[in-house]
Amino acid sequence: MSEKTKIYLQPIPIRVWHWLNAFGIITLAVTGAQIRFPETLSFLGSYQTAIRVHNTAGLIVSFSFLIWFFYYATVKNNLDDIYIPNQEDIKHGIVRQLLYYCFWYFLGRPSPFHATPKVKFNPMQKAAYLVVMFMLEPFVIFSGLLLMNVTPLRVLVLMTGGIKFIVALHFLLACSLVAFLCTHVYLATLGATPLSYLKPMIFGWEEVEEHHEVAEEQQGAPRGYRPVRHYPECMQHIPDNQHS
Amino acid sequence: MNRHTNQNLIPLFLMALLVLASAAVCRAEGFSFGGTEGKSGNCLSCHANPAAVSGKMLIDPARYTHTTHAKIGCPSCHASMPAAHPQGGVPARAECAECHSEIAQQYGSSIHAGKTRCAGCHNPHKVKSPEELSGQEINTMCSNCHDVLKMTATHGQWLPQADLHIRMLPCITCHTGAKSYYISMYIVKGQNGSRFGKQEVASYDELKSIAGGAEIVALVDKNHDNYISIQELRNFNNDPAHKNLHLQGMMTPETVTHNFEILDNRRNCSFCHTSGSTVMQTSYLTFPGRDGTYQRVAVEKGAIFDALYGTPDFYLMGSTKNQNLNRIGLAIICGGLIMPVGHGFLRFLTRKNREKKEHES
Repeated sequence: MSEKTKIYLQPIPIRVWHWLNAFGIITLAVTGAQIRFPETLSFLGSYQTAIRVHNTAGLIVSFSFLIWFFYYATVKNNLDDIYIPNQEDIKHGIVRQLLYYCFWYFLGRPSPFHATPKVKFNPMQKAAYLVVMFMLEPFVIFSGLLLMNVTPLRVLVLMTGGIKFIVALHFLLACSLVAFLCTHVYLATLGATPLSYLKPMIFGWEEVEEHHEVAEEQQGAPRGYRPVRHYPECMQHIPDNQHS
Repeated sequence: MNRHTNQNLIPLFLMALLVLASAAVCRAEGFSFGGTEGKSGNCLSCHANPAAVSGKMLIDPARYTHTTHAKIGCPSCHASMPAAHPQGGVPARAECAECHSEIAQQYGSSIHAGKTRCAGCHNPHKVKSPEELSGQEINTMCSNCHDVLKMTATHGQWLPQADLHIRMLPCITCHTGAKSYYISMYIVKGQNGSRFGKQEVASYDELKSIAGGAEIVALVDKNHDNYISIQELRNFNNDPAHKNLHLQGMMTPETVTHNFEILDNRRNCSFCHTSGSTVMQTSYLTFPGRDGTYQRVAVEKGAIFDALYGTPDFYLMGSTKNQNLNRIGLAIICGGLIMPVGHGFLRFLTRKNREKKEHES
């Protein structure tokens, strides 16, 4: 027996940041590919257009990064809780989540984690986003800003190791972000339905099925498996007539 | 009486003639070009002496001696000299076009024609061949008339990073119709010995001092074979003893012309930024000489493409990318596809397990 509940998972600033970031990074990847391989790629016509679009998208991503940072760091004041794996995550959580992705998912078991506004990411997500949001993005933004302003920031360019080092860093970090994007988009389809993880990022609310036969489910669970975590204080029961 | 008087005047007249003739000979010696071996020697006895002449008349013998004009000598251009020289009179000047007719023809059809004459850009007593100039010197000639800030603003209306382009490209790269290019590298140093100070071209004396009195080419060309390998470039760039020296590069026309023009194809960034595989293979490192000229030494083909330390301060987007970095980047992206492809495949194969569980619940 189960009933559907709604969780307000993604507030507006986060959704704005996410989609600015998403479309910005896709634009950056496409234009960046043309900038690096102009002899074979010409998605946006002229090289000049590719550079201007790339620069504009870079500034938008930088701006959206600031939105993300200030929202979590000052408004919600829970940046560390959300993004830094705790002891439990490191000891068991990451392995448990890995086992889920590699085995239990294929056996039809539910995810051992379900997002809430306070604990948004599973331990593997935390580890991945920690790297992406605290290393990849800041460094790719920093190197991009240097490359956009080589003359005014000449001293910083020299201090960082020369323009070639910055270009290499920017390129390899950008490739890493594209690699992450592929994995991220795929994992976003692993919900109950392929779009169930996407909806909260558009509308803010996530619909979850609350199971009442927890004990029964636990009996048949593989070793190390834990059922979906429930946070009743974050849930809102949906009246029957709103069920789809 | 009259006859007696006339007889007395004859010696006086002869003496006066003698004095005038001597004076004429002395004066003639003053502006004589001398023998054919000397050619310019007599002229330089005054014109290289700051105590005798000043301003435009003063010639730097070290720089003049190096020019092709010194080889043909002063009389080749200043064929006739007024008798009153040096007290008065304007010496004859040859037209540059008399020897440089092809250049004059190019220049005459360029957008510069009528704006200035040859001497507006070139001092015939200091002129160097293009190989003996650093790229920055070429631009210094242009900036005598074309204010750098104004040019940056004008180009900035359409050119991204106009300041960088104007600083790192000889104007003639875009404003003449040259067909092939090479990368001309030269050594710059931070002002006041600072690694991060304002960059200026290192002079002969400064590099000589850094080289400890040895030939300055040996700063980079360690094995003295008059050829710089990529490894020698890396060693130079990684040497902490040279930490305030950097190698800057400029994309310079192989053949310099005077056909100044505004070319539409140069507004297409692809002209330079897709030219990597062929044009960027050739590069030279230019070293300043004692006489103010530059000596260029060939650098190993493809040095510009070295990933990091061959030319750490020179990069031309799209054109000087390193293939190994491309391969690493591709491997990273492929790594990101393992999850969607591998997991997705297993997901497809095991879809019935999940459907079954869903049905049961």
